[in-house]
Amino acid sequence: MTDDVRDPGERGNPPATSSEGSASAPAEDRSAERRQEGRRASERRPTTIRRAIRDELAGEPTDEYYSETHPQEHRAVPVIELDHVYLAFDRPILEDVSLEARKGETICLVGESGTGKSTTLKLILRLLVPDRGKVYIHGEDITGLTFEEALHERQKMGMVFQSAALFDSMTVFENVAYPLREHTELDDDEIEHRVREKLAFVDLDPDQVMGQLPSQLSGGMRKRVGIARGMADNPEIMLYDEPTSGLDPLSTGTITRLIMKLQRELDVTSVVVSHDIRSVFRMATRVAVLNERRIVFFGTPEEMASSDDRYLRDFLGGS
Amino acid sequence: MGLLTRQRPAYPLPLSGADPARSTPHTSRLPALTERLADASKQKLRTVQEYFSLAGKSLRFAFVRPFYAQDLVQQMDEIGVKSLGIVLLTGFFTGMVLALQSSVQMRAFGATMYIGRLVAASMIRELGPVLAGLMVAGRVGSGIAAQLGSMRVTEQIDALNTLGTDPIKKLVTPRVLAALIMLPILTVINDFVGILGGSLISKAFVDVPTSYYWRTVWEQIAGDGFVLRFVPTDFVQGLVKPFVFGGIISITACYFGINTTGGTEGVGQSTTRTVVLSSILILVVDYFLTQILLSVLGS
Repeated sequence: MTDDVRDPGERGNPPATSSEGSASAPAEDRSAERRQEGRRASERRPTTIRRAIRDELAGEPTDEYYSETHPQEHRAVPVIELDHVYLAFDRPILEDVSLEARKGETICLVGESGTGKSTTLKLILRLLVPDRGKVYIHGEDITGLTFEEALHERQKMGMVFQSAALFDSMTVFENVAYPLREHTELDDDEIEHRVREKLAFVDLDPDQVMGQLPSQLSGGMRKRVGIARGMADNPEIMLYDEPTSGLDPLSTGTITRLIMKLQRELDVTSVVVSHDIRSVFRMATRVAVLNERRIVFFGTPEEMASSDDRYLRDFLGGS
Repeated sequence: MGLLTRQRPAYPLPLSGADPARSTPHTSRLPALTERLADASKQKLRTVQEYFSLAGKSLRFAFVRPFYAQDLVQQMDEIGVKSLGIVLLTGFFTGMVLALQSSVQMRAFGATMYIGRLVAASMIRELGPVLAGLMVAGRVGSGIAAQLGSMRVTEQIDALNTLGTDPIKKLVTPRVLAALIMLPILTVINDFVGILGGSLISKAFVDVPTSYYWRTVWEQIAGDGFVLRFVPTDFVQGLVKPFVFGGIISITACYFGINTTGGTEGVGQSTTRTVVLSSILILVVDYFLTQILLSVLGS
């Protein structure tokens, strides 16, 4: 099991070039060295945290898998970037927040309640505009967009809400088909094909659920339909606001696996707000920890677990 | 939380014309009473501005693609067809009681033969529009506020926003258009059944022949002249008012609905505020509209 602990930077940052090849001897040597380093780093932390991380990382796809499926040059491009963002309403919400998500990454935002995690998602969605600082999507500053332009920009993103936020007057089919009917020229047959495809992707039987209303579904199924709706129009960015909250452990595992599947198979860039540290360690390529309006940590799960920062230790210990 | 002290919603909607997503800078609490009053006044003005901005946007979107025709038809059914029963009942009984009460007073002057004129004038000019407005405010206004409020607190409106749909265009415009179309129609029906109720009472208790009653009704309608040669002046009054009332009811309900905060309790508050404010606005605006219409149309 200890051998499965990998280099902190490895999961989010595969080898510099995929052409180096996973089977080459130098790469294996480096990999072995990194494993040793990772082992030494993990041994510095309390055993419970190390064990939890090792458990979560066990069985994950290999780094070679990532480097083969997603070429390295794509990863250098920040898809989402927050640059020294400040935001306040009646009180300061965010101060000097900077983070970036490269293509195919899953960034998890964690922190205590009320620290501005969901607000950060709203900034990315351009539902809010910072008082200072910039928000870039694919290198384009979205803070200056008009309301109509922002609506158009949001079509590139899929959002999964804490409550799933399915339209309760519509069936599952109509919910998933909604973005397709709104923003594409697909005919009815193509829409049905796409809806079936997306429902199958989230492990739901289309024939069984398409005609049902959201109120007839369980919490986990609603979340999965929410993911299917979010990805219906094949967005490049997926945002999740506490996708596993209120779910039983099995459903939590299902949703977590789906988020990872989206990253692996569709190379979607994701930002996940979550309180579920176990899921975060499973799916995150990097973790941003928000505390008192600021990002106090931004790095890989392994770096987070091996950090000596008192707040991080308390945060993980309390989770 | 009162209307004028309403806090900024979690996901502000584009109600004020200015970019809604732009946050206001952090300011410290102002201790002085005058400054607090100034803040309260500004807040009040902002609320009024947002209300009218919502009205303007919802009407402007009626001419901007995409058109949500299916939603419009659905809302016309919800606001119009499903309100028919309550409107028929109130109109019919109001017409009957109007005939009954006025017969008592008019008998003293030997003027019971003019009951038809009185009932027609009262129903077409005032009672028809106001009663239909109040009934729809109670039934439809509360329903719209509750529905949109629930959508707000369950993040469905936010979901629309994130799916690239303007919630005002999708949710508010069809409801406002449906109310503008259906309320005049409901009012005409209300007028007719009210006059019909008056006819039954006149025949049964006042001994006014039915044919005479309807003749006096027509004399009342035609006696005040016509606008554009065909539209009786009374009808103009009777149709302008419900058109305005339809706007008041739908915009008030949508405004409170999409700005709902505070979970299910907030939904209840939005519903109550909608019915109270709509009813008050209908009665107040009715007076001023009557003044204006009388000065424009005469008699």
